[in-house]
Amino acid sequence: MSNIAGKAYAMNVITPIRWTTAWLNKLIFWIALKRPSTLRGLITLSLIHYARWVIIGKNQFPHLDSSQPKEKLHYSYMLFFSNFNGSWDQYVDSFTFAIPGGLDLFWKWNIRYPKSVALTPFHHYIRYNQIETIHYYNAYPLATSNDVKSAKAVKDALIQFQCQSADDESDDNFLQRYNALLRGLQHDLGAMHPTPIVSMSAYQVERRKRWHDGSLQKEIAAQQAAQGGQNHDR
Amino acid sequence: MTGNISGNAYALTILSPIKDGYTPDEIAYADLIRDRLQGWNMEHNSPMAKVPQTYLCRFFVLDDVYTESLPGAGFLDTLSDLLPVVPDRTRRNALPKEDHLQSRYLVFSCNFHGGAGGDLEGYLRGMWGAIGDRIREIWGYCYGFEQVTDADTFITYMKKCQLPAALFFNGSNDEPLEEQLKALYLKQELAKFAAENQGLDAATLRRNFQAFMQRVAPTNLAEPTWPAGKYRI
Repeated sequence: MSNIAGKAYAMNVITPIRWTTAWLNKLIFWIALKRPSTLRGLITLSLIHYARWVIIGKNQFPHLDSSQPKEKLHYSYMLFFSNFNGSWDQYVDSFTFAIPGGLDLFWKWNIRYPKSVALTPFHHYIRYNQIETIHYYNAYPLATSNDVKSAKAVKDALIQFQCQSADDESDDNFLQRYNALLRGLQHDLGAMHPTPIVSMSAYQVERRKRWHDGSLQKEIAAQQAAQGGQNHDR
Repeated sequence: MTGNISGNAYALTILSPIKDGYTPDEIAYADLIRDRLQGWNMEHNSPMAKVPQTYLCRFFVLDDVYTESLPGAGFLDTLSDLLPVVPDRTRRNALPKEDHLQSRYLVFSCNFHGGAGGDLEGYLRGMWGAIGDRIREIWGYCYGFEQVTDADTFITYMKKCQLPAALFFNGSNDEPLEEQLKALYLKQELAKFAAENQGLDAATLRRNFQAFMQRVAPTNLAEPTWPAGKYRI
């Protein structure tokens, strides 16, 4: 199990919603899609890579084969998937503090939704309905969502800087442009490093480190030699 | 399925029903899938690192849905919880019902660069081409997967398992993955360069910077760059 891949956390939440009100939720999402200004609050939460809501009608679970039993559900279900940076508490709390109204709007029609304020019942609700990820892959585990966005600014600025270079430029002029480049990028620069490991896959990360420095291969060889020796003794 | 597309990013949601069966060792197919996915955590990098344009993705097994037994904040919930004068039968009827799934589902949720048109077929074709064997290893115990023999049948199968997103929020930049990885490489290298070259005279700095630009080649996406899934500096 691993909800964490580098600096990203994978959250999965499934909550029931009456089929009679599921369409209302869909309508709210549709309006949010048509009027991007409704998502302004989410944009301020720059720790999010991507998030999505999926509503599965009570008769819409995929049915692939006649031998597969059909679902007999009372409710429709809303799935929420998010990829964000930081800890579970930081994320859930920042939602509550930044966009409590938006949060309530999106979950309003879900069964027994306790509202985003007060915090403790909301924490219980999310934790109760959360499903653990087994395998989580991140193409850039060293980077946060803000790193990915700021890296684009760095790349664009460097390419532009290169385009503006001229062979007959004086050194002083170059220095001026270089300083301006760094000044312009001061919010986007910053070295990335691996995070301290706080996931259940910590063991594997440690193991990978030992693999990179060559000690794991030696350990495995020693283990195999020891096992071989034991078998031989038998 | 326009709800799946935001900018150039695509949100793919797959629920594949898992066969209700056991291996000769009496391990449920759903648990076998779980074990195999757990095994992916033990590899040096995820097999998904080989699938072109994958930003982030996850796998889990949905065993069942939850019955809401915690107090809520809805009007009827509060009324039925707080008023002892409400007849017990009425109160019980207001409680959430208990649901159970008939099948377990393998859930695959993925964000990838699909371009403005959301090229799902291209992505799935790339996925099959890159890790077809590993896909069989995970999906092999799902209903309907026995009909998958090549990229085309895989695309057909995945589309049958796909659910549309009601709302997809894209909070990142959605450039092609190789552009993003090159940009991260440049960000890391420029930060290092700036720190190491502080206070130099203009001529030396210029010389060093020219060498730096030649080394990092900002417009060359192929190299030098970060590989997908790079987890150490």
